[in-house]
Amino acid sequence: MNPWQLNPFQIVLLLLIAGLLAGGVLALLKGWLRRRDAILWLLVWTAGAIAVVRPDVTSVIADLLGIGRGADLVFYCAIPILSFGIWMLYIRLRRVRREITLLVRQMAILEGELSARGDAGSRSQGPSPRGPSAP
Amino acid sequence: MPTDTDQGSEIARSTYVVVPAFNEGAAIGDVLAELVRVYPNVVVVDDGSTDGTFDAARAVTPYVLRHALNRGQGAALQTGVDFALRREAKYVVTFDADGQHRVEDIRALLEPLAGGACDVTLGSRFLGVKSQMPRSRRLLLRMAVLFTRITSRLPITDAHNGLRAFTRAAAERLDISMDRMEHASEVLDIIRRCRLRFREVPVQIRYTDYSLGKGQSARDALRVLLHYLIGRAVR
Repeated sequence: MNPWQLNPFQIVLLLLIAGLLAGGVLALLKGWLRRRDAILWLLVWTAGAIAVVRPDVTSVIADLLGIGRGADLVFYCAIPILSFGIWMLYIRLRRVRREITLLVRQMAILEGELSARGDAGSRSQGPSPRGPSAP
Repeated sequence: MPTDTDQGSEIARSTYVVVPAFNEGAAIGDVLAELVRVYPNVVVVDDGSTDGTFDAARAVTPYVLRHALNRGQGAALQTGVDFALRREAKYVVTFDADGQHRVEDIRALLEPLAGGACDVTLGSRFLGVKSQMPRSRRLLLRMAVLFTRITSRLPITDAHNGLRAFTRAAAERLDISMDRMEHASEVLDIIRRCRLRFREVPVQIRYTDYSLGKGQSARDALRVLLHYLIGRAVR
């Protein structure tokens, strides 16, 4: 089979992957990602490109592993990888939430300190407006 | 006169009562008014309320902290404790804003701390006089207690009771990272991890329609459980 006789579906996918690869290279050069992560992504996208151009390659590997079709192999690999990605996102989300809490706490304490101090100076004014009141 | 000795009022003056509040505008004014009569240092943490909670609290106590965003009861408690520690608190009490706790129970919580018998006291509604409690709530709480005994490995008789008291040294060990309701189990984990001496003290809960409406349902309990387990797994 001539590997360059691509159907429209393959061309669209390849363009997509080319974009992702370019992004990965850029990330590697500009240091947006850690080196290890960037290389991992480049490998993943390259493997994807190979699987698109030569779907029979996945079939060979699937055969070796005793899985019927190459498409099934891709499917089985995708599930744990995606699950892991979601888990990592969740961990990151938790960290961001934690940081927001620490920030909110710091603001609350500072504002409370200021307004309590202002209060000590002018206690008789009753409920003061929001925020620190001038002494 | 709620405190009959000079020593008692001395303790009350050096005690900071932390009250986390989220949309409690309807009840918090009365709850705080009752509190400040005995404990002048009441710290309210308004956890991003959208009702009149802040103004209602500000009318009663000068120490009202405001979370710019709602972060949950655990986060609010830690904010209040941090603030109390910055203000020379000798004892820190946590107290719910919905009126379910009785001010007179605080004294029983503080006495063992003042006497040096322990570092932390936890209110328990299952010790001593029984609080009037709906049956479904009792069942749910019993299950929560059982679960908490297993995970905390502490022989406690109540779980998720918001009425607690800490010495300053114990409060300094608090570092609640579970922002929402699961903090109640986390506090027990901290007690065990830091080997704080604790004691349970019988308290009564006033179950009113208001406080019941504010309470947790069985579905909430499951959510809390899940968050707690994940929180422990990925600290």
